[in-house]
Amino acid sequence: MKIRILGGCLRMFSWGAVLLLTGSVLVLLGYLLVKGVPSLGRELIFGQVDVLDAVLLRKRVFDGLFPAIAGTLSVVLLSVGLAIPVGVCAGIYMSEFATVLQQRVFGLMFDILAGIPSIVIGLFGFSGAIFIHKYVSNDFRPCMAVSVVALAFLVLPYITRTTQASLQGLSIQIRQAALALGATRVQNIFYVLLPQSFSGILSGIILAIGRCAEDTAVIMLTGVVATAGIPGSLLGSYEALPFYIYYISSQYTDSAELMSGYGAAIILLGVCAILFLLAFIIKRQLAGPAGPEPGRFYV
Amino acid sequence: MYNPIKIRVENLTFSYHKTPIFENVSLDFEAQTITAITGPSGRGKSTFLSILNRLWESQPVARMQGKVWIYLDGQWIDIYSRTLSKPDLRRKVGMVFQTPNPLPMSIYKNMAFPLKLTGMADKALVEAKITRALEQAFLWDEVKDRLNDSALGLSGGQQQRLCIARALVSQPEILLLDEPTSSLDTGAASVIEDLLVSLKERCTLIVVSHYLEQVSRIADTALKLKAREFRQV
Repeated sequence: MKIRILGGCLRMFSWGAVLLLTGSVLVLLGYLLVKGVPSLGRELIFGQVDVLDAVLLRKRVFDGLFPAIAGTLSVVLLSVGLAIPVGVCAGIYMSEFATVLQQRVFGLMFDILAGIPSIVIGLFGFSGAIFIHKYVSNDFRPCMAVSVVALAFLVLPYITRTTQASLQGLSIQIRQAALALGATRVQNIFYVLLPQSFSGILSGIILAIGRCAEDTAVIMLTGVVATAGIPGSLLGSYEALPFYIYYISSQYTDSAELMSGYGAAIILLGVCAILFLLAFIIKRQLAGPAGPEPGRFYV
Repeated sequence: MYNPIKIRVENLTFSYHKTPIFENVSLDFEAQTITAITGPSGRGKSTFLSILNRLWESQPVARMQGKVWIYLDGQWIDIYSRTLSKPDLRRKVGMVFQTPNPLPMSIYKNMAFPLKLTGMADKALVEAKITRALEQAFLWDEVKDRLNDSALGLSGGQQQRLCIARALVSQPEILLLDEPTSSLDTGAASVIEDLLVSLKERCTLIVVSHYLEQVSRIADTALKLKAREFRQV
């Protein structure tokens, strides 16, 4: 009887938790859409400039979100592009080559890195930029390159840990299949283990994309500004959507400006959705041939 | 009449997590015969197979002492010699597992995989070797029209024969089989048994099996693993 009551309570609580989560997402999206959709339009993104002129960089957009969208996309793609090879290689090392002691020590380090607040990583990026400015080149200042490196550090633990977990999650049958056929350890990793764990690794990359796209604290200290135009160089300042949202919500002078902040939030969600969709398409394209899971029998 | 010795195990002692599995075991295996190993579960039958192709070495908590010699290419080779490459050894000493483990790729790519590992690029030669291995494994007629289909779509018995064919494509001199029929129905198991008997002409086979009837049907020699020792039955 007691167990039945406990089971019922657990089921109700679990159901309530799922409902709360789903409801929160729907309320958040609904609120954003109600507030932001009226401000969405060509003008919000391109201002008074013709779309073609803006896209072909013939005219600079001063009063639209186009430079911030371009800045966000650039920073996200460059950061994740920098973090993927390092993170995946570190994950491979942790899973395939590290001793148990190394796994514990390095794992703790990665977990600490994952737990560092983004503002602290931004501060390190800023300090690095000051150091280079002082000792290497007077022309150097916080810029997109600093943001990219700082954001890459921010997301490295996600990619490393998901790569490690995906590789370690593979069954012993899959691990030994290629080795027993005469594969070297490296051949086994590249021909079998990595393709098999690709789906899990991509989940980490998707997580990293989201983290890079939304983070404001890091970029605020390392190179983002309110007005910079389309990013022309890694050593220049740039605009970004999360910073625009933060800036507008704290500095707005009228309700129309605030509404444009909501519009920017919807666009940021849209940019993330497009990047997630791309990652999902890649995942589908590179996935192995369809078929039942290995190890189940259909005699 | 005795066949020449193919594998010699000398004073083998093996422990896992400091628990002894084998103590001072010495054994000979004759060439071109089927040796069956039986015994209760968890006593180290599969581990013994993995000692013969060094696959146990991925387990950092295991320790081994003793020698294992294999007669390959006209000479005795200490398979734990530092100069011997493990991939080369495993191409000569193939292994098939209890659970069929086709890679999640097409039947053709599964078969071509061992050849790809050696860098073989001659397509005609690759195809010839694949065809021959699939014929040897009694699978060619069933898959010849769907080589590009996923190997995971085959039945359990077919998957196991594919794994045997995949091991055969490297032309191993020894084939280790770890309970190859334990997860199959009697029909599929019977096909595998016939296949193993037919392979005896070109390979030395060591089969771990729980089924005494199967052992009596296919094995030339049967060994029972009990109390960290092998006894002939």
